[in-house]
Amino acid sequence: MNVHKLWEYKEYVNVNGMMMTSELISLLQNSLTLLQAENHFTHVLYWGQVYAVDVDYHIAVGITNDAMADRKYFYTTDFKFWSLLPKSKQKYKLLSLLTTYPFRGDPSLKIKVLDESLEENHPERCQFMTEENRLAATINNICDEAEICTRGQLIKQPNGTVVINPSYSGLTSAEAKQLKSYLHIRPAQQRWNTNLLTRQDYNYSMDFLDSIDQDIPAGCWNLSLEQSGSVTYLKSLYWPGMMFFHKVTSPDAGFLYVGDGRKNLDVPFLL
Amino acid sequence: MSQTFLLEPDIIAAAENVMPDLNNDLVKAKNFLKQQSAATGDSLYDHLVDVVHKILSQKPSDVVDNFEQYSWEVKQEKFRPNFDLLHDIYLSPLQLSAVQRLNGMFRLVASKLNKMENLGEEEQELDLEEDSVKPKIADLIDHNYYFREGGYGLPQSECYAVYIALNMLAIKEPVATVRFFGKIFGTKANYYIAETDLTIDELDRRIREFELKDVPGEGDSLEEARVLEAEEQKELMGEGEEREEKSKEPVPPKLPPLPVSMWQPPPLIPVERPGQGVNKKVYWVCHLPGEPWICLPDVTPEQIRVARQIVRVMTGDLDAEVLSFPPFNGTERNFLRAQIARIASATSISPQGFYTYGSGEEEEDIDMEEGGGDMDFNPNPFYQGHTIKDLLDPNLTYWVHHGRHILKQGRTLWWNPNAETEEDVEEEEDEGPPPIEPEIGPPLFSPLSEDVRVEGLPAWSPRISTNLVPDRALAVLRSNIWPGAVAYATNGKKSECLYVGWGIKFRPPNFSPLQLPRPQEEYVVGPEVMEMADPTFADEEAYRIAHLPPVPPPLLGEGDGEDFGEEEEEEDD
Repeated sequence: MNVHKLWEYKEYVNVNGMMMTSELISLLQNSLTLLQAENHFTHVLYWGQVYAVDVDYHIAVGITNDAMADRKYFYTTDFKFWSLLPKSKQKYKLLSLLTTYPFRGDPSLKIKVLDESLEENHPERCQFMTEENRLAATINNICDEAEICTRGQLIKQPNGTVVINPSYSGLTSAEAKQLKSYLHIRPAQQRWNTNLLTRQDYNYSMDFLDSIDQDIPAGCWNLSLEQSGSVTYLKSLYWPGMMFFHKVTSPDAGFLYVGDGRKNLDVPFLL
Repeated sequence: MSQTFLLEPDIIAAAENVMPDLNNDLVKAKNFLKQQSAATGDSLYDHLVDVVHKILSQKPSDVVDNFEQYSWEVKQEKFRPNFDLLHDIYLSPLQLSAVQRLNGMFRLVASKLNKMENLGEEEQELDLEEDSVKPKIADLIDHNYYFREGGYGLPQSECYAVYIALNMLAIKEPVATVRFFGKIFGTKANYYIAETDLTIDELDRRIREFELKDVPGEGDSLEEARVLEAEEQKELMGEGEEREEKSKEPVPPKLPPLPVSMWQPPPLIPVERPGQGVNKKVYWVCHLPGEPWICLPDVTPEQIRVARQIVRVMTGDLDAEVLSFPPFNGTERNFLRAQIARIASATSISPQGFYTYGSGEEEEDIDMEEGGGDMDFNPNPFYQGHTIKDLLDPNLTYWVHHGRHILKQGRTLWWNPNAETEEDVEEEEDEGPPPIEPEIGPPLFSPLSEDVRVEGLPAWSPRISTNLVPDRALAVLRSNIWPGAVAYATNGKKSECLYVGWGIKFRPPNFSPLQLPRPQEEYVVGPEVMEMADPTFADEEAYRIAHLPPVPPPLLGEGDGEDFGEEEEEEDD
């Protein structure tokens, strides 16, 4: 959610009973605006909260030029110092999916890892994963699977950069009822012509992302219309706590994650 | 300017003799732009005019960066007709249906209020009675304010509507207290849940109904049926044997009797009566505030047992089937009720001393032997509140459960399955089933510090609502076992719990479905069906020799006869 619109968006937050307190919004706006100025970001988004035992992590995203490639993730526990999350390696992404115990709230905490794929004394053998790495990997996983935007919110310019559409006016109420109008914010995994040609009104500048209606199993995204159809919510069953809202026919949209950073593997049983 | 309207042949004719001319080139270019596309019939000239017009009239910033987008939008607008063939038909706003629903609710509440006022003026005696009957509604708006201070709660738009809906429930249904329990999400619709106590009259009526329905009921009839079946089996077996003895004709080889199912269903655990244990409170649900509240049926121990073994999300349809293994006996209505019972039992918490046994006004002798048993508890009038520091203590010794623990049986009060049979057993035989250890759960008002930790994660995480203004701070507890359950307490006298979530328990690492039971043994394992080694020739020889008929002692008379016969044979030859 755009940090500068948090006051407007706070009534739309609807994830496991969570509401943003005035204090949280004030702290976020202050510290993230400073962060934006220091790093010369064009946009700063509040990404969400990851529960931990002692103190919770808060995550923010900074965007410079390209809304897809130039995303930088920051975390904090006290709203004073925002630290840059490291780029997550593939092995950490796999490990973080297996780790079941909770985050502690201490980024330097070392988690012991038993790596059986490599021999002992092998220099590449992974022995520890710091909680910072785990957090980065978890967030990377969530971004890959559950960070979404509406169709048309991001557009690809002829020179290849992806920007947030400044003249975006929102989905119509008919479009908002279809899962096809919501796209993953990640490099496309489907073939480009799959994304383009499965719709009648394709548009090269919008349909360069995967739509969420192809996620397996059908029903892992829960689309609900509330306030008599004027606001749509999308909730992910795989990542309980991930919520996306969009106010129909307005440019207001955003996502928020509030949860313990654990993937729900029981989805096939739930449906 | 007249040249602008020259026809093409004229231009060509003019161009043949004339020197290059700016005006002439312009005309040529313009004509080129005005060429109509064969596919759409549009011309670039018209399009550019439209785009420039749109940009100049709307004056957006940074046009050049998003020029393609504008061009695209202009083209899109052409497909929208600028005249409306159906302009007589008025499309009502989306909100209309919601408004109608809410309007009905507001009117009902308002009319009830008016009636109360009128009554109060006319007959004061009646008014006293009314007061005693008037249901108590928990002040949701107040509690929601504190929840929102703590970072949880309902959005303002919902909160007020829900509160009025609670009032409507209190008017329409025979309830004595109303409290907002929470909200459970479903895939198609959400449930708002109200927790109520029934009025005494209604409770009596339901208890009578319940007793009529099945109290001496099902357990006995089942047992009888089982005994009958067993007897039939015995008779069948007996008959088979008799027949064999009578008929001496060659018969097909004797077949072993058909296997009899040895499985016996475990004794049916009786349902707790309305107003007791898990059915102490009655729950009402609706999809949206303003819709009629639907009463959820009482929960049976069996349903709680199965609900613990499965994971499902609600669909939002109360009559939806619950497809699961082990099979769930009931529809989503029952499943929702079972989940609510589990959530209420696990996440009803309050600061120590907030509730007390009895009415709390007099010091009563409390029988603690039953672990609080089915004792009633009420808000403690002498509760003074704890300091925030105590409430935030990570050991959570200042917080207690006021939800009754549900035993493995699926009841809060333990039921002895042998209670009925014990007397008979003593009379007939000495050996009965050994007395079963009663299940004991933690007593009511046991502190949260005794809650089970999950993988090093304490069951509850305490958080303070604000770090900047300690005077306004309140303590918020978030459940890690039932994600979505929260409770708050101020350092004054306020505390409340709320659940907003999917109704799914947290169980790391993940859910694994119940395994199928082992297949039953078909026969009683005895020498007939056991596999054993074939006897060798040596064994058979040894057996034959050991079992040879005793050699008869030779008799004299017979000896003569034999001789005689032999002689005769010889003669024949």
